[in-house]
Amino acid sequence: MRQRRIFGAALPLLGAAAFLLFLVFPLYWMLLTSFKGNSALFRIPPEWFPSEPVLSHYKKLFADNVFTTYYRNSLLVGFGSTAITLIAAMFAGYGFSRFEFRFKSLAMFSILSTQMLPVVSLLIALYTIYNGYGLLNTRTGLVIALTTASLPFSIWMIKVFFDNIPVALEESAKIDGASRFGILFRIVMPLTKPGIFSIGIYSFILSWDDFLYSLTLINKDELRTLNAGISIRYIGELSYDWASIMTVCVTSIVPISLLFLFFQKYMVSGLTAGAVKG
Amino acid sequence: MHKPVQLERRGVRLSEKAKDAIFLAVIICPAFILLLSTIGIPIVKSLYMSFFQVSLLSMKSQVWNSFDNYKQLFADGDFVHSIGVTFRYVFSVVAIQFVLGMALALILNGKIPFRRALRTVILIPWVVPTIIGALLWMWLFQPQYGVLNYILQSLHLIDQPLQWLSDMQLALWAVMLAALWKQLPFMVTMLLAGMQGIPGDMYEAATIDGASKRQQFLYITLPMLKNTIKTVTLIACIENFKMFPLFWIMTSGGPVDATTTLAIFSYKTAFIDLDLGKGAAIGALWLIIMLLFSWGYNRLFAIGEGKGGSAH
Repeated sequence: MRQRRIFGAALPLLGAAAFLLFLVFPLYWMLLTSFKGNSALFRIPPEWFPSEPVLSHYKKLFADNVFTTYYRNSLLVGFGSTAITLIAAMFAGYGFSRFEFRFKSLAMFSILSTQMLPVVSLLIALYTIYNGYGLLNTRTGLVIALTTASLPFSIWMIKVFFDNIPVALEESAKIDGASRFGILFRIVMPLTKPGIFSIGIYSFILSWDDFLYSLTLINKDELRTLNAGISIRYIGELSYDWASIMTVCVTSIVPISLLFLFFQKYMVSGLTAGAVKG
Repeated sequence: MHKPVQLERRGVRLSEKAKDAIFLAVIICPAFILLLSTIGIPIVKSLYMSFFQVSLLSMKSQVWNSFDNYKQLFADGDFVHSIGVTFRYVFSVVAIQFVLGMALALILNGKIPFRRALRTVILIPWVVPTIIGALLWMWLFQPQYGVLNYILQSLHLIDQPLQWLSDMQLALWAVMLAALWKQLPFMVTMLLAGMQGIPGDMYEAATIDGASKRQQFLYITLPMLKNTIKTVTLIACIENFKMFPLFWIMTSGGPVDATTTLAIFSYKTAFIDLDLGKGAAIGALWLIIMLLFSWGYNRLFAIGEGKGGSAH
């Protein structure tokens, strides 16, 4: 009996440790590899702690203009699509939350089901359309494409936040003579800050994660984003330069991890609100 | 919306109702235009293109080829093969993810030290870009110097280093492992949020009635989580049906075609073989598969609903 109790208490701990190992160890290994010199890199048994960490991979990376260009493009595209998503999702989410109109549930449903569409269909048509309007190989084109990737779920998420704000507040402001946009900007939006944060972060993460759109819609090196750039420069070579690749990986994760550390609370609450209640 | 009568009598030119309608149209407009121009129109256009012979190099000339794109797809086995691979990948990765995610969520929902910190830490892989995850796992899987083979060999679980990504049998599972690493955190967080929404007194009442932990899980946790489970597994399925970067980076669909999913097959057809028409045809058939899938999915959870009703 006592043995069983000890076992029962230890099992969750062991389980948690195993999961932690699975989820965190690869990240540690990535960080470690980026500091390994070439002799340490291919040592068997591998070094579990850096005996003589080197910074040469990082120095090489930041001296590389191409890499900083990719990085800047990713940031620009990320901020651009986040800004547009925020505006469009906030307006639409407010409309869906506060007004009743015909085909509303159908509209909500179709917005969400766009997520199921095969990407290749969209890509093929976007490619030809962009080609006709001169949007291929432009950051604007990529930003628009990425916005629509994050827009559907963002509208759902922010709608849940609007739903939770009592309508009475707006009604009293209306009596005081505030315009509809005034109500939205001065009364409702400040109250939805957590929701706005979460969709902002969500769309930035999504855009930072994008690979397929930038791979397809951009084929000029100076306009490439980080993910597409990395794949084209480092993949498919005869011998992979693993330490450099891990260095790029670490560098690419930095902005997103910072966002995560600062806004973790909003991110989790936003996503769970959208998915669990929606 | 309820509004005071006084406002309407102020002699404004437009009625409040008309103003509401205009306001609504204005605020819905940006999202509507964006979605229409990058999703609505493209999907119709690509359905249309699937009936024509269109090459990436000569997009202007679209020649009707009397269903030739579709005929080709069914004539060579690649299309059917890629459907098989896709379904095998999606179902395995979502099922494993769900079971493990549930286990970890239960652990983190219990009394365990540092659970707040743990909840944060385990989320990190979720924000790591997919292609970074792919590269990271390629390094872990590296046959000679990869740490995974080393660990497995020193634990005497394997004798020979495994060729993770170039073995016909293993490659799909190796990609799944990387997918699991990236996706498990989201699953856990969602399930955990659902669990925390279950009122604690339900468990207390069950304990008083003498229900075991297992019974509590089966008759309280699972039914109460039903909607959450439906949503998160559906999100996971959709995400994995579309999964492109992991396969493209880790295996490019290989070895041979062992990991050629619909996403990889369609991309290769359209943008490597430059056959946009055939690629669009794959997309169209894929769309039909997705419609059938979501119909089946809703039916599946509707069956569960009937059961839940009769149990009460």
